[in-house]
Amino acid sequence: MRKRWLTLAALAVATVLLASLFAAMRGSSASAAHKAAFSACLVTDIGGLNDKSFNHLAFVGLQTAEKSGVKGRVIQSKSPADYIPNLQACVRAGAGITIGVGFLMTDAMDAVASSFPSNKFAIVDVDVTSMKHKPKNVEGLLFKEQEAGYLVGYAAGLWAKSKGATAVGSVGGLKIPPVDRYIAGYQFAAKKADPGLKTLNDYSQDFVVQAKCKEKALNQIAQGSVVEFQVAGQCGLGVLDAARSKKVFGIGVDADQGYLGSHVLTSALKKVDVSVNAAISSAKAGKLKGGKDVIFDAKVNGVGYGKWSPKAPAAIKAAVAAQFRLLKAGKIKGIPAVVK
Amino acid sequence: MSDDERRADELIELAITQDEVEQAPLQPGVPPPPSMHFASRFGGVSGVIAPLITTLIAFLMGGLVVALTGKNPLKVYHAIWNGTGLNWFFHIGNHSARVPFSTTHMWFPWDTSSVAAQNLQQTLLLTTPIILTGLAVAFAFRCGMFNIGGQGQYFAGTIFAVWLGTSFGGLSPWVHVPLVLVVGALAGAVYAGIAGLLKATVGAHEVISTIMLNWISIWVGSYLFGQGGPLQGSQPSIPISNDIVDGAKLPVIWGLKLLQGLSIGIFIAVAILVVYWLIINRTTLGYEVRAVGFNPEAARYGGISVARNYFLAMAISGAFAGLGGALDITGWEYRIGENDIHANTIGFIGLAAALLGRNTALGVGTASLLFGALINGTSGRQLDPSIFRPDLAGNLTTIIQGLVILFVGLNVGGVWLWLKRRRGA
Repeated sequence: MRKRWLTLAALAVATVLLASLFAAMRGSSASAAHKAAFSACLVTDIGGLNDKSFNHLAFVGLQTAEKSGVKGRVIQSKSPADYIPNLQACVRAGAGITIGVGFLMTDAMDAVASSFPSNKFAIVDVDVTSMKHKPKNVEGLLFKEQEAGYLVGYAAGLWAKSKGATAVGSVGGLKIPPVDRYIAGYQFAAKKADPGLKTLNDYSQDFVVQAKCKEKALNQIAQGSVVEFQVAGQCGLGVLDAARSKKVFGIGVDADQGYLGSHVLTSALKKVDVSVNAAISSAKAGKLKGGKDVIFDAKVNGVGYGKWSPKAPAAIKAAVAAQFRLLKAGKIKGIPAVVK
Repeated sequence: MSDDERRADELIELAITQDEVEQAPLQPGVPPPPSMHFASRFGGVSGVIAPLITTLIAFLMGGLVVALTGKNPLKVYHAIWNGTGLNWFFHIGNHSARVPFSTTHMWFPWDTSSVAAQNLQQTLLLTTPIILTGLAVAFAFRCGMFNIGGQGQYFAGTIFAVWLGTSFGGLSPWVHVPLVLVVGALAGAVYAGIAGLLKATVGAHEVISTIMLNWISIWVGSYLFGQGGPLQGSQPSIPISNDIVDGAKLPVIWGLKLLQGLSIGIFIAVAILVVYWLIINRTTLGYEVRAVGFNPEAARYGGISVARNYFLAMAISGAFAGLGGALDITGWEYRIGENDIHANTIGFIGLAAALLGRNTALGVGTASLLFGALINGTSGRQLDPSIFRPDLAGNLTTIIQGLVILFVGLNVGGVWLWLKRRRGA
């Protein structure tokens, strides 16, 4: 009886040892001397790399930078206890720039950046001037959401016009500045495309529970809306769901949500990948704007629109592409940033 | 002492000793075989051999998983070991250290500001709440209950700690810190007391009620700290509470306060381990709790109020977990966000620590250190991508933790019975 256990244990030990030997042999041949390259270190928030949103896009930005010879490293945070040690680990590893993703890391970034004033940092979606110590070595990466809202709003207006509909709608999570910037641009452009159009807007007061957003969207559809723009994160998936069930178009937000189906006309994009890549390049060139925010707009391809639904008419696609060109050229003025 | 009372006492003693000694068909007058004697000393409730073997097997299996990914398990375990900061103890040299709460420096055999030292600070920070949520499970277990609500009780402590910590700006730290900790513990006690009361009065099973209470606390916390919630901080678009005031923060004795150094929380946790041992082994309450745990019917027959002990044991369990939450807030976290609540699993790690530690003070303490070290050691920052895929590293903790729970479960149940049957046949 006991012997059998011993045999099993011995077998297990032998297997591990053998396996490690193999791995060691394989590993030693692969290592080669490489030159010291500029290194960038990305720390995700607790959403992790597979969040299909900010963290994922930030990682895509890092990968883009790696293609141009930057040595990249990504550290995932599993709990809030990880933020400060992770950012510190990046500094310790000699990263040329350390990038944090999202407002959850604001205080950790503030603490680490002000403790290591000679190192460079950037943080996505956080206004550096609002940080406690106002560190001079952190660049804030912000976005002009109203321009993304403008592009999808124009598409929504044209679609409503072609259908002879009276209204388009939007559902925001909460009345907070980034949400309102999207919606303001959306309403402005929809009315520009079809001046007679009514714009409906509601706030679900929630970013998580899908049912709340779905209810708002169903209400708006009942009032004649034929396009529903969601600006409510996870809750907003309920908006897209309402659009599918009522056979109208939905519009995604932040990341490209076209994968959800052909009921998603397109998505308003906030290109975190572009901003991360840009921050790495400017740090590499020694031109990081510490203590300031860099705003990513259509001109630098920081915002845009996503994949078109296969059901989207070619005329609308062409018209929105034309608007995007005008926006990039700086020829569209007066896009509001607040919802009236 | 009347005859009835004496009889009851004997019964309880019998119930207790029966459980502690391996139950085996001993022949009267024949001394037990040495192997069995050994097993009864080290394999019982307070045994150390079985948990050690359990951990070892879990690590071996973890090593196999590492090998399957094509990496060297020995290298990975070495990196994890360095990441835990426990290697710090083995680097003895000629250094100096600041005496806590003063500016004087004195000679010290270890470098208190090395990378290993910083890692050790983080390991001990993680160990603190695991000890307390572990004790929350262990204490209830001693009373025959399975408290799965450590997570919810921890949140009850967290919520009150944030609330009181962000209020009373001008209060002296000597008043504010104890106030936050005591109220945090009380909040946990009341919260777990609900499950205890339900068990004691209507017999609602504590496993079901504590799991449900966990979810209630998660969503209450989510509401309180979320968008528009009453405890959301001053920045309107960010679902995070305000920071607690400086007077409510625990003193940091190692490392920098700004960079998440080690607070005195770990000493409080160790002190609570001692308190736990005292309550269990040296008080009437502990005696009654254990008696109920071993055999509620015998305890009832002996004049112990089973209902009262169910309630008290749950409440005290909850107090441990609630204190854990308060220590995290006052020790290093200082604030909490809606997302943090959904990501936190410390209560369940405590569960694993209690199972592995066999519900003893020393066992829970050691197992907590093990899990704290593992979580810190396997975090992505400790493992160079050339050693192990950092995105898989965190899963290694989960694997080892899961294996430990599995083996602990097997140990007391299946394997033991199976071995016994084989021996009998």
